[in-house]
Amino acid sequence: MTGAINGQLRQITRRTALGALGAGIIGASVASWPRLSGTDIPGRGDNSLSIAILGTAADAAARQRAIDAFSSLHPDIKVKVQAIQAVDWKDFFTKILTMVAAGTPPDVVYVATEGAQLFAEKLAHPLDEYIRRDAADMREFFSDVHPSLVEAFMYKGSLYQLPMDWNAANMYYNTAAFAEAGLDRPADDWTHLDFRNNLAAMRKARPSDFTPYYWTNRLFGGVVPWLYANDTSFLKETRSTGGDWLWDGFYASDPSRSLRSGGYQWLEPNANDDRVFESFDYLRGLVKDGLGVRPEEGGGNSLVGLFASNRIGTTPAGGYWVQGLHEAGMAEDGFDVQFFPRWKTQRHQFGTAGYAMMKTAKDKDAAWEWIKFSSSREAMELIFPNPATTPARRSMVNEKLYAGKGPAHWKVFYDTLDRFPTTGPIPAPPQQAAVETALMKNVSLAVSGDEQQLKQALASMQRDLEIALRRQP
Amino acid sequence: MSTTIPPRERPRQDARPDKPAPARGRKGASGNRHSQRWLAWVFLAPTILGMGLFTLIPIVASVVLAFFRWDIISAPSFVGFNNFAEVVQDPTVRVSFLNTIVFVVVAVALQLGLALALAIMVQEKMPAWLRVFFRSAFFFPLILSAASVSIFMRYLFNEQFGVVNWLLSLVGIPAVPWLTTPGGSAAVVILVYVWQNFGFSFLLFIGGLASIPVETYEAASIDGATGWRKHLHVTLPLLSPTTLVASVMAIISALQVFDQPYVLTRGGPGDSTRTAVMVIFESAFQRLEFGQASAIGVLLTLIIMAITAAQFRLSKRFVFYQ
Repeated sequence: MTGAINGQLRQITRRTALGALGAGIIGASVASWPRLSGTDIPGRGDNSLSIAILGTAADAAARQRAIDAFSSLHPDIKVKVQAIQAVDWKDFFTKILTMVAAGTPPDVVYVATEGAQLFAEKLAHPLDEYIRRDAADMREFFSDVHPSLVEAFMYKGSLYQLPMDWNAANMYYNTAAFAEAGLDRPADDWTHLDFRNNLAAMRKARPSDFTPYYWTNRLFGGVVPWLYANDTSFLKETRSTGGDWLWDGFYASDPSRSLRSGGYQWLEPNANDDRVFESFDYLRGLVKDGLGVRPEEGGGNSLVGLFASNRIGTTPAGGYWVQGLHEAGMAEDGFDVQFFPRWKTQRHQFGTAGYAMMKTAKDKDAAWEWIKFSSSREAMELIFPNPATTPARRSMVNEKLYAGKGPAHWKVFYDTLDRFPTTGPIPAPPQQAAVETALMKNVSLAVSGDEQQLKQALASMQRDLEIALRRQP
Repeated sequence: MSTTIPPRERPRQDARPDKPAPARGRKGASGNRHSQRWLAWVFLAPTILGMGLFTLIPIVASVVLAFFRWDIISAPSFVGFNNFAEVVQDPTVRVSFLNTIVFVVVAVALQLGLALALAIMVQEKMPAWLRVFFRSAFFFPLILSAASVSIFMRYLFNEQFGVVNWLLSLVGIPAVPWLTTPGGSAAVVILVYVWQNFGFSFLLFIGGLASIPVETYEAASIDGATGWRKHLHVTLPLLSPTTLVASVMAIISALQVFDQPYVLTRGGPGDSTRTAVMVIFESAFQRLEFGQASAIGVLLTLIIMAITAAQFRLSKRFVFYQ
């Protein structure tokens, strides 16, 4: 074998030939080795509908039955579910944004209240035209879902998601701890003062290795339920106009129709409000008197285990807690749930989640078909087989769902919306992540020291929120 | 430049006489040099490509991005020095830089002090088999994931149910609010960081100690030096090159601390454990202000460069090379 270099023929040595042969074998092996490529990224390389959810591969697998049912209805639409692991919703949204920046955005994303307005403002496509088009099919869904949940996904008069599941911050209590302290089940309209008295009774009955009130420093279930109960919030809450097409079309005869709007708006901070101070001062008192914990930032990982081991008297949580407590070995009569205590109002805080269709979705009609199918009773029963969350459909929150797991008063979950129709979503403007950080970082200081420290912490919160909200979309 | 033909390229002496060897004049030598150079580039290419793609281009892009407002979704817009102006005025950024400096001073001092003390102890006082055990044991935390360690420590330092407070209660000390007070949380972050990182400095010091000639100690002993005086006048000066390297690495690493405060305290309570890198993360991935995050990154880089330069300048005075 010869090769021509600089016009001269050069003989190829045996060493060169063997080297070339070796390189060829290695190259062929590498080339034929099974490996991931760009086409393995969901949504890239074929026309599959790519759906991103927060969770693990097991969560994606759990949706397989729903995917199979969808495929039998729509054999022409291929679906790929991509489970994205994240610490919390904030972390999940960051990863979705990274996918957007990388040019591989999913077509549909499961988004909770925390990110609803971020997606509505920047990433999602409104569902209005599809809901109007399929109004006949959607009527049954809206008749089964409370309008408060739907309103949480209204943004500037358009609807961006259909609520699939939700949870309000109700009050869980340990029945054994209550009994030990000689306490009965609290009344539906118990007040924040009754609550404090109950905590004091439990503290007296169990002086050590026990916390009467355990709470976390998060946007959901932290200080916000107390602010809502005291008819205030750390952000000024307003509503935008519009949305009548939806309310008149599907909720015209609903008793709370007059309350509905084109969506929530949180444009200004409100941490310097007197009632915000009053609410924080109440919590500061609980901490000072050893009735409640000083909340850690982002804490809560060990909460289920601590509650199930009877070391916590009360804590705010939603229906999502039932399955966790059951798996942690808590008997169905070991705990119960009641409405959040009344202060100036008994308005609750809730969070909800549903699928958002991305602006960049390749086939928006297919994306809508998935969203519509997922909102059907059939799909929701496949997706929510146990009380790891509260289904958005009222008809699914029934005895069967909680059988053998508790709590005895499971009706509290959906009654929260029916009894208190002003119950509102987590305050989450498009700048939610920055707002959450501004809130969380100041809560511990606010409830841990004297009155002066509380005032300083709220002033700092006000300043941080101003920075977080300085750029309105 | 040498023109000697390398041995491998010399014509073989046993070449058949009927087959003349190819001409190997100046042209042949230059061809070889050319092919060697080409081969060198081939070997260097993956590294150069990797460095270019994953280090150089991101550095340049980051500096450029500092002059833009960009939220990943919309197109970037040029804002000049606005990002730097906003960063300098932001009290959270200022506090986080101050926290970082305090953290570096305390954590690095503890890390180096502990590492040096343990290295001397292990090297001098331990039998060989125990020495091997402790070298591994002290290095072990470094190979663990900082996030996992921090999650675990978070449980240990929980005020109500943590093991640390339970142990303290056994000796009558009331529960300490480790993670919910500014002082407590700063102490835990430093403690966890030092525990996890001192192993690296420890290994450097072990290496440094092993390189000090025994004769030097013998000479010092003859001169009457004993105990800590021997370490003060012999060990520390001869170990100064190692100390310089260990301190440069420890300071650069500490200036970039993120995992421990993020997982343990999320920077709180208040801003008490918020560090510069945490603010970069929050600006970029929570506030979607990537330009501002880049501006903070540029400032942090300048600080790291200034500190490192100052260290090397000072080293001329304090580092003793044998």
